[in-house]
Amino acid sequence: MSGQPSAPGSSPTLEGYDGLLGPHVSIVTGKGGVGKTTAAAALALAGVASGRRTLLVEVEGRQGFSRVFGTQPWDYAEREFRPGLWGAAIDPAESVYEYLELFYGLKRVQWVMERSNALDFVTTAAPGLRDLLLVGKLYEIEARRRPDGRRAYDLIVLDAPPTGRIVPFLQAPEAVTDIVRVGPIRRQAGQIKDMLTDPRRVQAVIVTLLEEMPVRETTEGIDALRAAGIATGPVLANQVTLPRLDPAALGRLTALGAEVLRERAEEHGARMSGRTSELTLELATAHVDRQRYQAGLRAELATTGRPVLGLPLLAGSTFGVTDLEVLADTLALQVGEDGPLAAARFDVAALHAITEGRP
Amino acid sequence: MTGKLERARQRTLADAIREAHILVATGAGGVGKTTSAAAIGLAAAQQGRRTLVLTIDPARRLAQAMGLDALGDEPTQVPLDEAHRGDGTGELWAMMLDMQTTFDRLIDRHATSPQEAAAITSNRIYRQLSSTLSGTQEYMAMERLHELHEEGAFDLLVIDTPPTRSALDFLDAPRRMTSFLEGRLLKLLLKPGMVAGRGIGKVVGAGATAFMRVAGRVTGMELLQDLADFFRDFEGMYDGFKQRAEEVLALLRAPSSRFVVVTSADPPPLREARYFLERLEQEGLHAAGVVVNRVRPEVPRDPSDAALERAIAALEAAAGDDPGAGEVPAPGSSDEAAIAGALRLLADVRNLAARQRRDVAAGLFGVDVPALVEVPLLGGDVHDLAGLDAIAHTLLTGRTP
Repeated sequence: MSGQPSAPGSSPTLEGYDGLLGPHVSIVTGKGGVGKTTAAAALALAGVASGRRTLLVEVEGRQGFSRVFGTQPWDYAEREFRPGLWGAAIDPAESVYEYLELFYGLKRVQWVMERSNALDFVTTAAPGLRDLLLVGKLYEIEARRRPDGRRAYDLIVLDAPPTGRIVPFLQAPEAVTDIVRVGPIRRQAGQIKDMLTDPRRVQAVIVTLLEEMPVRETTEGIDALRAAGIATGPVLANQVTLPRLDPAALGRLTALGAEVLRERAEEHGARMSGRTSELTLELATAHVDRQRYQAGLRAELATTGRPVLGLPLLAGSTFGVTDLEVLADTLALQVGEDGPLAAARFDVAALHAITEGRP
Repeated sequence: MTGKLERARQRTLADAIREAHILVATGAGGVGKTTSAAAIGLAAAQQGRRTLVLTIDPARRLAQAMGLDALGDEPTQVPLDEAHRGDGTGELWAMMLDMQTTFDRLIDRHATSPQEAAAITSNRIYRQLSSTLSGTQEYMAMERLHELHEEGAFDLLVIDTPPTRSALDFLDAPRRMTSFLEGRLLKLLLKPGMVAGRGIGKVVGAGATAFMRVAGRVTGMELLQDLADFFRDFEGMYDGFKQRAEEVLALLRAPSSRFVVVTSADPPPLREARYFLERLEQEGLHAAGVVVNRVRPEVPRDPSDAALERAIAALEAAAGDDPGAGEVPAPGSSDEAAIAGALRLLADVRNLAARQRRDVAAGLFGVDVPALVEVPLLGGDVHDLAGLDAIAHTLLTGRTP
């Protein structure tokens, strides 16, 4: 997956869409608030661009994807909402019905369970069962085949629980075998584990910000996933600040001073107050500090040995579907594929330099 | 358009920090709850109050900053140097929640005999339940809060809620906990005869037997035997447990208990914040206000966007070797290029600040917010008292130091 040898301090690189999206399932995780949903959506769009039949799956009932793609709310049904891209929000209650129907032909049970509120127990209270059902559903989708024998989807992108919960989430089937010693759940748990620990079938993709806590959770998450036998694919560094200024430029600006900056801007048609020019200098200093801070955390990520891809902080005054397409193209460019939208929007070489740990 | 919000921005958390007995920091994961809770604690200590911050899994460096390298289930005093202690009459204490210890203690307290307690704590279902039942951690945080309240050693208890999928799990935790433990459904499933006469019809009883047959086949009977044992052992304790949960809820409903809703300026956590504020109102709980973390500073509107774009293009053309080629020159290569880069940066920051402001206004539109404090985006993570002090200042005054 991470083929190319690399210089010390930099990370391995990925070759093409097959390097980025080789396994059938990408489980997208990361610390809360780092933009997992955005990154998962971009990854899925990259999958579509690569020609893969792609399914985007949500498990936490947030309706994050339907909002960002501007569709109707998602539910258990897998629906094609863009050419080549399906979406579903899987929930444990629906999984219970399906499970019982599949294994026991028990349509009638649904009625009984609703009446007796058993679902509430099964899906919210019972130890680990909720996660078991969600992971079980993922297993079912991965194993599903079309009538002609091809996979139902070439790529499944799962917007998974945060890093702190990802291993217990994925291991729920195993955990249940501690208390369930016989029966189909026990048998299926083994098959689910086989899927999760097969690097050709599943990779975890960790999303992070280039900030202290998210980076620490990333390294801890990689260790925990490794211990659980689950392969980690690329780390996606989200909201990377693209360099507008370097230390040399900051040196020039500081030497000029706020007043000269104001005059020169005005000569070129941008009249600004003294307060704005002073603020601009402060922003310039903070910006160069931020680059240095980012580079330090980038170096920390390199110690994990995982390939790192960057998603830039897009400084538009809005954020919408077009931005997701730009981010998908950004991923494509970084693995050597075409990404015209990204190339048109920002300096991709600069992003490369940051995420590959080059000076 | 944002009249309510503008009024809320004029108010701070100062009153709540000076008057409340319990402050609960809540919000979506990753928005800076722990840091906000610590800063609230520091602000209160600076106001002369004996304050305890009860935290869950703090960032290591933040814990170190608070002097909590080796923290257990008991409060530890945070040493405050002169620069950060205010008038010096207050104290800051901190502790970390140990969920399992709290749960075991709860069992010990309510069990009728040591044998009963031992039977429960060694049950496989209990061990699974106490670590994985959703809402357990939230409930145990509340339980510990109640214990500390009863001990009465502190003027103010600040609690940082666990990073739940949804902040709302926290409010549902006591109810979910007791309804699970009450286990009427499960008792019904396990011994249908037992609950006869409690108003549950025969139809459900028959259905439950069908469910039991299925569940037995799916799970294996051992699980069900353990469940049956668990509920048998638990039966005598249930009333005590339930009463305790009601006390905890009553404590949270008291006017001296207030909730601080923490969010970032991104739409998803803002949505949760909004929903949570509405829920607080429905539940008769008291909101102290909203803290929006990592807010970009507002940038003046001059020059206009169009003038800025023109100047950037003119400066870049003047700087480039090949004017008109559209290449962005290296910012350090000339003064013109450096100024163009600085103006691009100004435009970026202005766009992002405007986006955030719109997101906050849209996210909290129409909601009654007692106070709204925006904490500026700092260079890196907060991990020392000076960083907490800066946030404490903003929470008290609404301004950056």
